Amino acid sequence: MKKINVKKLFDNGITYLVLLTVSFAFCFPVLWLLLASFSKTGSIYSFDGFFPAEYSLDSFRRLFNDTVMYNYPKWFSNTLLIAVFSCLFGTILVIMTAYTMSRFNFRGRKMLMKITLILGMFPSFMAMTAVYILMTHFNLINQHWGLVLIYSAGAPLGYLVQKGFFDTIPGSIDEAARIDGASGFMIFWKIILPLSAPIIVYTSLTLFAWPWSDFILPRLLLKDRDLYTVAVGLMSLGDDEFSRFSAGAMFIAVPIIILYFGLSKFLISGLASGAVKE
Amino acid sequence: MVLLLKNCNAKTIASMLVMGAGQLLYRQWIKGIIYLGVQAAAIIFFISQGALMIRDFITLGTVEGNAWHGTPGDNSVTMLITGLFAIIVLIIYFSLYITNIKDVYETQRLAESGKKIPGFFEELKELSDKKFYKTVLFIPILGVLIFSVLPIVFMILVAFTNFGGETVPPALVDWTGFESFRRVFSLGSFAATFLKILGWNILWAILATAFGYFGGLGLALLFNKKCVKGKAFWRAFPILAFAVPGFISLIGFRFMFAAGGPINQMIVNGGGDVVLFLGLNSTWLSRGIGLLVNTWLTLPTSMLLATGILANMNKDVFEAAGIDGAGPAKQFVSLTLPFVLFATTPVLITNFMLNFNNFGIFFFLRGGFISEGYFLASDTDLLINWLYRLSIDNNYYSLGAVISLVIFLITSIISLDVYLRSDAYKKEDIYR
Amino acid sequence: MKKRILVPLLVLSTHFLVITGIILGAGRINDEAPAQKIEKFTGVLERDITLRVLENDTALRQGYFEELLNAFNEEYGQYGIRAVDANMDQYLDLENDGPFGFGPDVLYQANDRIMRYALGRHVQPLPIEQLDCYPHIEEKAWDAYKITIDGQDFYLGAPVNIQGPLLFYRKSLLPDPDVLESWNALYKFSLERRENGEFGYMKSLIDAYYSLGFLFSYGGYLYGDNNTDMEDIGLAMGDAERGANVLLKLASVMDERCVDFTITQISYSQFASGNFFATMTTPDVFTLFVDELMAVGYSREEALAEIGIADVPKLPLSGDLTEENPELIPARLMGGVNGFAISSYTNYPNAALAFVDFATSYEMVMLRNEMLGIVPARKDAAENVGELAQTINNNLKEGNIVVMPSLMGQVWTPAETFFTDLANDPFRKIADQKFTTPKSRIDALQKLSDQIYDAIHTLR
Repeated sequence: MKKINVKKLFDNGITYLVLLTVSFAFCFPVLWLLLASFSKTGSIYSFDGFFPAEYSLDSFRRLFNDTVMYNYPKWFSNTLLIAVFSCLFGTILVIMTAYTMSRFNFRGRKMLMKITLILGMFPSFMAMTAVYILMTHFNLINQHWGLVLIYSAGAPLGYLVQKGFFDTIPGSIDEAARIDGASGFMIFWKIILPLSAPIIVYTSLTLFAWPWSDFILPRLLLKDRDLYTVAVGLMSLGDDEFSRFSAGAMFIAVPIIILYFGLSKFLISGLASGAVKE
Repeated sequence: MVLLLKNCNAKTIASMLVMGAGQLLYRQWIKGIIYLGVQAAAIIFFISQGALMIRDFITLGTVEGNAWHGTPGDNSVTMLITGLFAIIVLIIYFSLYITNIKDVYETQRLAESGKKIPGFFEELKELSDKKFYKTVLFIPILGVLIFSVLPIVFMILVAFTNFGGETVPPALVDWTGFESFRRVFSLGSFAATFLKILGWNILWAILATAFGYFGGLGLALLFNKKCVKGKAFWRAFPILAFAVPGFISLIGFRFMFAAGGPINQMIVNGGGDVVLFLGLNSTWLSRGIGLLVNTWLTLPTSMLLATGILANMNKDVFEAAGIDGAGPAKQFVSLTLPFVLFATTPVLITNFMLNFNNFGIFFFLRGGFISEGYFLASDTDLLINWLYRLSIDNNYYSLGAVISLVIFLITSIISLDVYLRSDAYKKEDIYR
Repeated sequence: MKKRILVPLLVLSTHFLVITGIILGAGRINDEAPAQKIEKFTGVLERDITLRVLENDTALRQGYFEELLNAFNEEYGQYGIRAVDANMDQYLDLENDGPFGFGPDVLYQANDRIMRYALGRHVQPLPIEQLDCYPHIEEKAWDAYKITIDGQDFYLGAPVNIQGPLLFYRKSLLPDPDVLESWNALYKFSLERRENGEFGYMKSLIDAYYSLGFLFSYGGYLYGDNNTDMEDIGLAMGDAERGANVLLKLASVMDERCVDFTITQISYSQFASGNFFATMTTPDVFTLFVDELMAVGYSREEALAEIGIADVPKLPLSGDLTEENPELIPARLMGGVNGFAISSYTNYPNAALAFVDFATSYEMVMLRNEMLGIVPARKDAAENVGELAQTINNNLKEGNIVVMPSLMGQVWTPAETFFTDLANDPFRKIADQKFTTPKSRIDALQKLSDQIYDAIHTLR
């Protein structure tokens, strides 16, 4: 009995040591960037050593108050709008596609799987010209909906991840429901969806985070400064705007972290716990 | 098909001429009108614009614009794309046309065998059940067709034109066949650099994927351990890194490792000499740092995914294994790993490809150099960076398209091969 | 049996033929009327319109642009012309935005940008003789916007300000004005400061925009025939290796930080702390020095008084910075001319021209100088704003500011690689040093020229 306890204690010790190391490795660079935005000069470049000598809230104050040229609050709400809707539509499309590809057997399915796998491999920056011209024809330049459209339309291409997840849900569950007379849609809605919480969380988090850091597409499609997303806006800041840049960059993380904490309890509630609840 | 042609009746033939006519004759009013509407819309589209789009696609324009004189002229690139769009519409039209014939033929068979012809709403119901996949896949496929396939086909077509250099709109672009291919492959100085970069590119993609993937899996398992209290809290640290946009982290890391960055300041204060981590001659040091930074960036996503997948793993199997006396290491190798690998093979492949084509990492981290023995490339450049330098810095779009095609062929062959061999493809239902 | 299959086949082919017929038939319609040449500058102002103007960010931030718009609108409001901020990124993409109607009507850009747009005729040639500023601007400045097609000269922009590098230094640390006279003196002073653990002149040497100038000063050039002949890359020509030698010596009074970008980014704060004495940059970052000085406790007035700005020091003819009493030659550095241009896609060319005329008027240029500290391209304005402006105007006239060519895309990477390697040399072990002899420097410069040549011509 005692022997096991020692072993367990040792195991716990190692576990927490690794945990601390990992957390430090992830936290430190972020903390470093974060402190830069709170430093008095607002720049990582003016530090002596790793951390600033003096702190102030000036960078953030300017970020939100001085909006004549760089309207960060507007950019932020633009991005929030785009991210929310892209995440919503994108998640629905990906989940439905993945579910269908996992559960239905139809002609051309395997072909479709092969094609979609390799479609994503095309070096994409050269296709941007085509996207731009298409969007001018759809009259979607300077329109946030244009971006939502592209992000949502592009999302299903990544369905293989979610399909892999659905492939691990036992088919016996659907069959039982089908015998009970549930339709394809009902099975999906009532039975599969509740079991898919972790993968939905993963999907929506990645789709939500995408518009926050993408600056290639919005730069291509949004010309008006007031319509910018945060990433494009930050990249358009002048050389002399370090402080705003780092403060603005750090603030992007806020909605993503909030979303994570809001969803984190679903991340682990998978099949096992779901089945118990039933 | 032949059977259909042999056996079809007049009503079916009517649908071959006018879409929906047969359906109307069978008194399927709503469906008939929809098909009829499709045909009418298609004809109107082609008369008003589509036909011109296809013509322009073939000629790529005949009148060169001169903005100084206010003459807009033809824009070859726009014509290439709108032409493609019209061709896609044509393909969609023909597939609907064929569906229309098949549909009416099926109705004919039902009528001939004396069964009841389903009404519109019964068929709609069918679409939410057995043919659920048709309903669901329609929108994603349309979206992917327009925003992913069309641009890629555009790119492939560009390889067969002289688009680029000085031949950009308003100048007229022409179809040139395999001329661009000939030019790329006849460059002597090209081959050596290509092979060197390809070698490093493959090594990079393997290492980067392995680090990111197994690191993420390891983290997920670590956080899943029973003894870890406050899982959501610990998991939040990698999420922090995920929440900061990648390009910003990269700019930060670049400065961290710079000659005047904080790490070097510490080294100098400690009495050491400045280390040029990302300098001109620091080939392997830069590559190593690139790998570390890339792992830092990709780990959180794969951790999230692995956590989600693990949540779905049947815990009974584990308990059974634990009873049989399997140690944690054995459990991992024989149960966890195959399960996770099964569910995430496509992710592994996708990540491999994303890393293979990881444009940003060295672009932001190290900036531009030309290394000794490389043709206009640096020793950390991946094929995509080289492609960017060759094509975008110089605007040689058609040549860039040729190189893209080559990269695409290599990556897609590797990944298709791996995918087709994997359990995820061969035995989709092994865990069902 | 055969007949049964024939009917549907016939019908199918009819359908197919009809569709093909529609596509071929409708595709044959010739929808284009023969192109007509339109004379844009008729002299008749368009009325009741809104003119979208793109200015640079500094002008926006310092409030100059607002003043300009207000002044213009006050005068032209009577014609119903209203100028507004185009509200776009200052580095616009006129090639792609213009033809689709998303570009501005009037744009303020550097000459290399404007001339790049000129190649696709995206900016309109201006009837410059009609402009009020025409006689007041040096020919060299107009030349920055000149393109010759079929033997005819076109001018695509109206110069507003001249950009050239200047030396920024701490007045309170200056022991003797002679230090700013020649690079030899500045080098000597920097050596003295190094002995106290401080730095004198500091500048990232891999920044090709500045470092190329040291090669130009000794006869090197980028493209032959006044930067137009891209077949002839001449960075090894003349005594360019002496320029490389100057850079080597400058690197030796700095430290390893000069081989990457760090110095540029830390220079503002290090300048403020007194650790760096001087650096070279263009005037548009002036406010950064002020901000950093204020961060260490200076008041705004004190900060403005503390920052010294001087013309770039003279170089020794021998290329040897250690020489006492050297024969001096002027430095020829890269610079540019910024000004207004009119988009070819504007619907209101005459109103746009009126705006350009207004914005390049004496009063507006003087105001611009007052608010932004720019160096006016108008001689009458330059005469009234101080000695430095005249020096820079003179530098341009004498050819000591080399106007940046529009095709630089293939130059930066090879050049930065070369300068990195060069600046690294003093920090190598003596046995490993690569650039100690003139021959080695000439060879390296020749290699650089070849690389640029390759980058431009391999795929051509």
